Amino acid sequence: MPSAIDASPRSQTGQSGVVAQRRRQAWNYVAVLALVAVLAAGPVVVTNSYYRYAGVLMVMYMVMATSWNLVGGFTGYVSLGHAAFFGFGAYCTGIIANESRTSVILALLATVGICAVVGAVIGIVALRVRGSSFVIVTIALVYMGSLLAQGLRSLTGGSGGLDVAGLYSFSGRAARHAAYIVTFAVLLGVVMWLWNFIDGTKFGMGLKAVREDEDRAQSLGVNTTAFKVVAFALSATFVGSAGGIYATWTGFIDPIFVFSVQISAQLVLMSLLGGTRSLWGPVLGAAIIVPSSEFFLVNLPEYHLVTMGVMLGAVVLLMPNGIIATLRRLWVRRRAPAASIREVAGAVGA
Amino acid sequence: MTRSLFIQSVVFGILSGGVYALLASGLSLYFGVMRIVQIAHPAFLFLGAYLTYSLHNRFDIDPLLTMPITVPLFFVTGMAIQRLLLARLRDENAAMMSVLLTFAIAVVVEGGLSAVYTGSYRSIDVEYAKKAFDWFGVRIPRDRVIGLVVAGATLMLLFAVLRYSRYGRSLRATMQHPEAARLVGVETERVRAIGFGIGMATAAVGGAVLSIITTFFPSGHWEWIARLMAIIVVGGLGSVGGAAVAAFVLGIIEAVVQSWLSPVWAGMVFYLFLFVTLIFRPQGFFGGRLAQRY
Repeated sequence: MPSAIDASPRSQTGQSGVVAQRRRQAWNYVAVLALVAVLAAGPVVVTNSYYRYAGVLMVMYMVMATSWNLVGGFTGYVSLGHAAFFGFGAYCTGIIANESRTSVILALLATVGICAVVGAVIGIVALRVRGSSFVIVTIALVYMGSLLAQGLRSLTGGSGGLDVAGLYSFSGRAARHAAYIVTFAVLLGVVMWLWNFIDGTKFGMGLKAVREDEDRAQSLGVNTTAFKVVAFALSATFVGSAGGIYATWTGFIDPIFVFSVQISAQLVLMSLLGGTRSLWGPVLGAAIIVPSSEFFLVNLPEYHLVTMGVMLGAVVLLMPNGIIATLRRLWVRRRAPAASIREVAGAVGA
Repeated sequence: MTRSLFIQSVVFGILSGGVYALLASGLSLYFGVMRIVQIAHPAFLFLGAYLTYSLHNRFDIDPLLTMPITVPLFFVTGMAIQRLLLARLRDENAAMMSVLLTFAIAVVVEGGLSAVYTGSYRSIDVEYAKKAFDWFGVRIPRDRVIGLVVAGATLMLLFAVLRYSRYGRSLRATMQHPEAARLVGVETERVRAIGFGIGMATAAVGGAVLSIITTFFPSGHWEWIARLMAIIVVGGLGSVGGAAVAAFVLGIIEAVVQSWLSPVWAGMVFYLFLFVTLIFRPQGFFGGRLAQRY
């Protein structure tokens, strides 16, 4: 029966799987460009200063959650330490700009380089352990950063914080927010492009092999240590850059705020909620969490922490694969019955 | 640094090492029975301190005598958390997910504490805790000594239960090899729940001790989790004895650095040891290869 033959081209998934993956990636590039354009054009529609402020926060968290996903999604290593790189990048930019009297842009570029090196060095140490030990180590990173920022008073201004010059010279607050939305949107485009690119490379395959079974990947010849460290360093670089831009945006760094595990936890929550296996998961997560978190902060300030904790717990318990994977499963279930093995076999039998 | 100051800080280190050891033993217990790191442990420690504070203020109960109320309460809560939340995580990624779940619990507890008690510092003043022993020119605050005695007694009780009771034997069997333990008739699920309850009970004891020896505020638990994590990694994950030794060693070094340099660098001691341990001996100094995997 021809209908049975039509329903079974899944036997050749080897070839068509690769083609489908390539096609999906190509579409992703287009969609990323579109997203960046939409986000950057956002300020045209949104003129209210507070909404623009929330917009900067949202795009910044989109950048950071996608960067987090370079490690968390590909390798499965859950880091609660990315706030350390956020704070480090912020202080790096602030200190270089203040001490050397160079332009803020140069300070930001230097921050990118320094974060890459520091991320690699810390990655080499931290990635020696797996699972919950790795999580512990990353938590410790945040507190080390916080202690250093408060201890090295002559450089960082101690617990009083540090003033940083702005990147742009707009006078109005709303105009400045608009400029930073565009800045973060461009950075988001770069990170998402990188994630999508890695997804199809051998390097990406190696990272995913680490996630599925690290020992077996190693025994099959994947240089797991080098792969993990590179992914970790890339991730740290982008989060650090976001931290640097953040410092020039707010013009002030509060050590307690930038080095807080809550920031890391937000990144994890966003990525898990959206789905760590998809390019769009962390972005979707940030688009949901930042506005709702701002809403709770404004309307129920004393229960802000509780709501965040309950949300994280609920996602971990009920939807650890995230919205995108859950929706995809529902979609496939609705569309797929024609391709189920039993039906095909039944048709062939008839 | 003078000699008497040095001795003074060593004594202080031993005194706080006792509390560290008690709390770290709870963490080791959770890790042993469930292979998870319980981030919320210090949050419950602080919850215990606040409950003690409330009971003391409302009903004028001595802080240490609140334990008959808080300990059973925490024991039941621990069993409930294990049964209702953690036991549901049953996939290959349970190690990571359990950390996130307990992290979420910690955030909820902290959020609840700051909503109820506000973010300001609290402390309990009791008559007997104010005085200090004078021992060859070294001042030893009495509240710290009481803390060490309570922590030490609880630790010894815990060791005795693990070592000599029937339950302790099934608990150790569950730690070593859950499948084999189940084969010989150990009800591992029950053992796990009770183990979790015992871990939480140590947090209640620690909370009562904490409330008399120091001031506390809702977000203070993060500092503790980082210290305790360093202790159990240095000691070797899952090794109760190793954690106790590491607790005293790090407690003493912390106190010495604190009086020699500053509290900021005293905090760094824990992280330095954590990283040095991970670079040169990732399995810790008393644990097996287990630690590297989880």
